[in-house]
Amino acid sequence: MQRITRRMLLLLVLMGLMLVGTLVFAWRYAVSSDEWVVFSGSPHVYSGGNLSLGIVTDRTGTVLLDSTNGRRYADDSELRKATMHLLGDRYGYISAPVLNDYADELIGFSKITGLHTLSDTTVQAKLSISASAQKTALAALAGRKGTIGVYNYETGEILCAVTSPTYDPDAMPDIEGDTTGTYGGVYLNRFFQTTYVPGSIFKIVTTAAALEELPDAQTKTFFCEGSCRIGADTINCNGTHYTQTLSQALANSCNVAFAQLAVELGADVMTKYANKLGITDSLQFDGITTAPGSFDLKDAAESQIAWSGIGQHTDLINAAQFMTLMGELAGGGDAAEPYIMKQVSNGYEAKRQTVSVPLQQKTCEILTEYLRNNVITMYGQWHFPDLYVCAKSGTAELGPDEIPHATFSGFIQDANYPLAFIVIVENGGSGSATCAPIAGQVLKACCTAMDAER
Amino acid sequence: MEELFLAVGSVDPTAVINAVLRYVFPILALVILGRCAVSLLTFRKEPEIWAWLTGPDGARYSVTHWETLLGRARSCDVVLNHPTISRTHAVLTRYDDGSWTISDVGSKGGITVNHKSVSMEVVGFGDTIGLGGVEFQLEPISKKQEVQQASERTKAGYGMWPGVTLFWLTIFQVLAAFVLSLGNESTQIFPAFCLLIGLQWLLFGFTKILRRSGFEIEIIAFFLTTMGMAVIASDAPQELTKQLICLAAGIVVFLIVCWALRDLERAKKLRYLAVIGSLGLLAFNLVFGVEQFGARNWIYIGGISFQPSELVKICFLFVGASTLQRIMTKRNMFLFLVYSAMVCGCLVLMNDFGTALIFFAAFLVIAYMRSGNFATIALVVSATAMGGVMAARFRPHILRRFSAWGHVWENALTTGYQQTRAMMCIASGGLFGLGAGRGWLKYVGASDTDLVFAFVSEEWGLLLAIMLILAVVVLAAFVIRSAEVGRSSFYTIGACAAVAILLLQMMLNVFGTVDILPLTGVTFPFVSNGGSSLIACWGLLAFIKAADTRQNASFAVKLPSKRKMEEEALCNVSRGVCCCFWCSWV
Repeated sequence: MQRITRRMLLLLVLMGLMLVGTLVFAWRYAVSSDEWVVFSGSPHVYSGGNLSLGIVTDRTGTVLLDSTNGRRYADDSELRKATMHLLGDRYGYISAPVLNDYADELIGFSKITGLHTLSDTTVQAKLSISASAQKTALAALAGRKGTIGVYNYETGEILCAVTSPTYDPDAMPDIEGDTTGTYGGVYLNRFFQTTYVPGSIFKIVTTAAALEELPDAQTKTFFCEGSCRIGADTINCNGTHYTQTLSQALANSCNVAFAQLAVELGADVMTKYANKLGITDSLQFDGITTAPGSFDLKDAAESQIAWSGIGQHTDLINAAQFMTLMGELAGGGDAAEPYIMKQVSNGYEAKRQTVSVPLQQKTCEILTEYLRNNVITMYGQWHFPDLYVCAKSGTAELGPDEIPHATFSGFIQDANYPLAFIVIVENGGSGSATCAPIAGQVLKACCTAMDAER
Repeated sequence: MEELFLAVGSVDPTAVINAVLRYVFPILALVILGRCAVSLLTFRKEPEIWAWLTGPDGARYSVTHWETLLGRARSCDVVLNHPTISRTHAVLTRYDDGSWTISDVGSKGGITVNHKSVSMEVVGFGDTIGLGGVEFQLEPISKKQEVQQASERTKAGYGMWPGVTLFWLTIFQVLAAFVLSLGNESTQIFPAFCLLIGLQWLLFGFTKILRRSGFEIEIIAFFLTTMGMAVIASDAPQELTKQLICLAAGIVVFLIVCWALRDLERAKKLRYLAVIGSLGLLAFNLVFGVEQFGARNWIYIGGISFQPSELVKICFLFVGASTLQRIMTKRNMFLFLVYSAMVCGCLVLMNDFGTALIFFAAFLVIAYMRSGNFATIALVVSATAMGGVMAARFRPHILRRFSAWGHVWENALTTGYQQTRAMMCIASGGLFGLGAGRGWLKYVGASDTDLVFAFVSEEWGLLLAIMLILAVVVLAAFVIRSAEVGRSSFYTIGACAAVAILLLQMMLNVFGTVDILPLTGVTFPFVSNGGSSLIACWGLLAFIKAADTRQNASFAVKLPSKRKMEEEALCNVSRGVCCCFWCSWV
């Protein structure tokens, strides 16, 4: 009998397997039940093909979406257009990663009590965006394609994240039948999901590399005759700048100076700084993963290195990432990671997460000085009354027959308005001429929204 | 609770009741299961002494099983350290009528009874048994001492009275019936639960009349059955009557199997009947079976449908279980292998892949219990695995199930439909459930059978669903624990195989539902909606009950007659001396 008893080990193994399997499942439940519960079509949480996510408001409480019974967007058509890419459309063409990421909280799910609820209180989600800033930004784009982002680099709140083209979710146009190109790429959120040729705003990266790698960078001079030959290629400039310092070259956005600088720094250093400054990285927050930019100088010719230093060649940036980089420069290397979900009424509260750029603080300070100089000497402080704006514009060349993209990015150096921003207008022509006024309007709207909360 | 207070007065009172009870049920279940587990898993292992062997040097060895392996090896039940005695020398067997035999199990020195060389011989009181020339005397304990021993061993359920546990289960059932009736128009729920309660107390009363005090195993079964009834009440209340009838039938089968197992000789004889019965049932099924859900394992007679393969499980255990003497002398399991292959073959022909898997696993368990040889089993497994691969090639629906395994979320609209809905509903229910009758999974096909774990989880909460698993695990742990004090390997193997079947079914059911294993459509023991399955589970329970050797625990284990007990008591009183069994013998 003892022998038979010993063979009970087999039963012990079976029992162990059962318990281990149960533990595995319990673990999966602990990790993934919030994903299971919002499974597409669950009658517990879906109504009319959309998740019943409660009420979503902007930072001031303006209702952007009420999905307690069906799906009701904001009353204002312009606001509906300006926020549709954050909230998703009615038919699932445009997803809302932020809402999906917090779906379990928004539908009132808890891993302990499941979906059980006694009271009919609706969950409210507050986004960090400002409805007025969104509308201002969309209006400022005036139907042009592009994106505008503004965020508070001290707290991480994104106040404005607009993408264009867009449409009114309550009056969806015939997108498939459109032949004018008005709605090209409308399903994309250009702020998070796409990359752009940066143009001269990339010179910020080249300047940062120069400041850290070349001991005489600040005193060094560059000579511009309107163009220069590098390798077999001719680099044309937007003017003839003659002798200039690095600061002046940045303000002039001198292609000749930055081409020479990039060649002097070399492919490895340029690549190192593009990576260091996060150009090729993705940001991940609130269920959003931004599109990674690109910077590739593998086997590049000298002229290609030169073009890469002025934000051309194969350089690509993502707007949200570049905006965050601006925040990091403003913060002397550290900034808050951006977020868009500020609060959920049943408990969630956004917390500041720090992101850093591995640059010396001194470099950041000099860059801030240079960018401030750009605004004063080139773009015009009148665009930004009373705001200490530091910025760089860009005109991203696309092809011989295409109007370049206008880009503009920077930050406000002010404890009351710690805002970093980016404006990209597709085929907008000159960066500063097109984007500086837009940036001025949007920053003003953001500052007003912040003032209203004080 | 804060939520509750805020909400009271503003919401439907039934919702408030549900909100409170969803926390009460897991607590009650914990009390019920906890009491059963404590009773079943912490009982004192008091060996039953059936005889003594006295050696030439006066050493006395207690014989604590009906089947005792004698030899030099440490793994023998009685270790005899004499160089002429083989490592495994002989098996000493006790029979129901108190008679004994000794059998040679391939020893070098052979055995003698009263100096006469034998291979197997009846041994009587005072007989001399020679093992390799070393002589021992068998001193069987008398009936009187047997009675005395019985009266001194701790009674089953002592300190954790099953009556109290049953009372808590009844409270659970009443509350369950109440909460299920709240949102349901069916008038059958309350009467059905009343009948369920009646049945369990009737069985409890019956065992009490038979002087049995162990009822924990039955309580676990009734607890699981209750959850099954709750699922049916929520999903298809009109089927409650059918399930109740099957429960009654299951209890009858349970009692019959217990009765059959009471007498080991009878049980051994039933083996042949079981072979004929099971193969006959399966052949009948093959000829007259009706296909349903892809498997042709259903029989319809007079409007009643049943699955013969479920009942074959009981027969399978009768055939598979074996006594130690048989195990040690006839090591060949060829006939059992052929029988198992025939059963599995029939099931494969019926397309009942899940049940075939259960039988195959049960075969492996029994084969290992009997041979203790992993090598042989590994051979069988690899041969069968190859056969399985071949079979899968010809059975695309099996392959399809496997293809979805681990990828159910990518195949949520096709092969992963059931599993994804199940997991979605498990999450919706949280740890405490949405409330009995308030689930949605009922609208998904086979939710009360294949997906019943998720069904319970959604309505009653994950905690309770996990307690269902633990309930069966407690049974398994009990079987392991009681093996040491088992009387015969027939009972031990039978109980082990029975609980292994229950565990395997549960494993395939639960892990299939949550995509840890492929979904095979096997029932959750006692809980899944299905009459044949319920009856079979109660039948299997009898095997577990037969291995319960705690004093007065089981109807499936004979007690010394009441008359003898009374005579003994009278005798003690008249003598006025301590006649404690342990004092007089140890």
